[in-house]
Amino acid sequence: MISVTNLYKSFGKLDVLKGIDAEIRRGEVVCVIGPSGSGKSTFLRCLNFLEEPDKGDIVLDGVSMTEHKKDIDRLRQKAGMVFQQFNLFPNLTVIDNITLAPMKALRMSAKQAEENAMRLLSRVGLEEKATAYPNRLSGGQKQRVAIARALAMNPEIMLFDEPTSALDPEMVGEVLDVMKELAKSGMTMVVVTHEMGFAREAADRVLYMDEGIIYEQGTPAEVFLNPKKPRTKEFLSKVL
Amino acid sequence: MFDELIRSFSDMIYLALIKEDRFNFLVNGFVVSVQLTLSAALIGVALGLIIAIFKIRNKGATASFANAYITVIRGTPAVVQLTVIYFVVLAKSGLPAMLIAAIAFGLNSAAYVAEIVRGGIMAVDKGQTEAGRSLGLSSFQTMRYIVIPQAVKNVLPALGNEFIVLLKETSIAGYISIVDLNKGGQHISSITYNGMVAPLCVAYIYLLMTTTMASALDRLERRMRAGD
Repeated sequence: MISVTNLYKSFGKLDVLKGIDAEIRRGEVVCVIGPSGSGKSTFLRCLNFLEEPDKGDIVLDGVSMTEHKKDIDRLRQKAGMVFQQFNLFPNLTVIDNITLAPMKALRMSAKQAEENAMRLLSRVGLEEKATAYPNRLSGGQKQRVAIARALAMNPEIMLFDEPTSALDPEMVGEVLDVMKELAKSGMTMVVVTHEMGFAREAADRVLYMDEGIIYEQGTPAEVFLNPKKPRTKEFLSKVL
Repeated sequence: MFDELIRSFSDMIYLALIKEDRFNFLVNGFVVSVQLTLSAALIGVALGLIIAIFKIRNKGATASFANAYITVIRGTPAVVQLTVIYFVVLAKSGLPAMLIAAIAFGLNSAAYVAEIVRGGIMAVDKGQTEAGRSLGLSSFQTMRYIVIPQAVKNVLPALGNEFIVLLKETSIAGYISIVDLNKGGQHISSITYNGMVAPLCVAYIYLLMTTTMASALDRLERRMRAGD
């Protein structure tokens, strides 16, 4: 459903991505792990063009994103994104956070958007917070709202950029539970994460990134239990 | 002694304000000052927004224009700008002095508004724009529904301050023979050969206007703080 070929990206003199090739299939849950600064987040942000690649191509559902830059807003609607810092809109209530994009970008009616939002809020267990402002929510609740907001656009793929890294430890579980439920429902997901437990349990495939390339990949069992390359072994020995 | 003081004081007030309905100089001047401030604020905000966007986009000729504009306006006194526009730039335009003054004050205010707005927009977290764009909103929609509403809240105190400064700045309109509040007061002083009552009244009316503006802005600010 997404195929990435020969992706390069640098920021000034810093080369972050040095030739990434990856294929993400429909319904697959892919976790991206690796040390800080290895380009995981940049790779994910390239997938919906929050960062524009310098070289290479990303094909989403058969449509090349580099060749259709003018349609980028429409292409982005297919990919929901969840950020480390939640990025909820502080000036809007929870329900308005969720209904804004469906109403403005998809021209959905207010009634339909609200019904849809309430359904998603109950899915993440936060119906009673619909009229609250984001500053009244805990970090875990904010991230669950952010997931509901991204789902409201009915995306075909969900991208998660370290969704639990900014959370207090006791709130990590509630967010991971929502993500696991989402994975079970058949959603295609790419998750950049430091939660090795989640990767092991929920991922169909794990990509280990290091120094701007996908250094090793395989099923969780292959990568976690039987890593083949030296840097993967070294990284896993530090985090497991 | 005390009686005499009171009598001479009430005489002064009578001469300055009551006799021949001289208070009308102040009333009419007040109206002129308010009109000038409102129209200049309108021009200032509209133009200031455009210049701020030019500066934020930071591309090519528009950015250089915005920078040059802000440099010139901030670097010269308002009274000089007013006289240059009235006696040089628009001298042959045949436009009424009021309109020229509104334009001059608007052009002046725009430079300050631009810097205020730019600061307010830049202060909105980049993640907000990213979240909007990642949801498939266009860059215009993201600006319109997400960034600007938050920026407005950021800039309100500084913008309110700018409007108060603008109101006071219009007191130089007399330089191009507009009878605003300040000039109206000066008329009374020269008619009555008394330079005490009118200036005090003028000062009091300005103070009344600025405090009214300040409290209105205060209320608006508090209303907009809903999500904090």
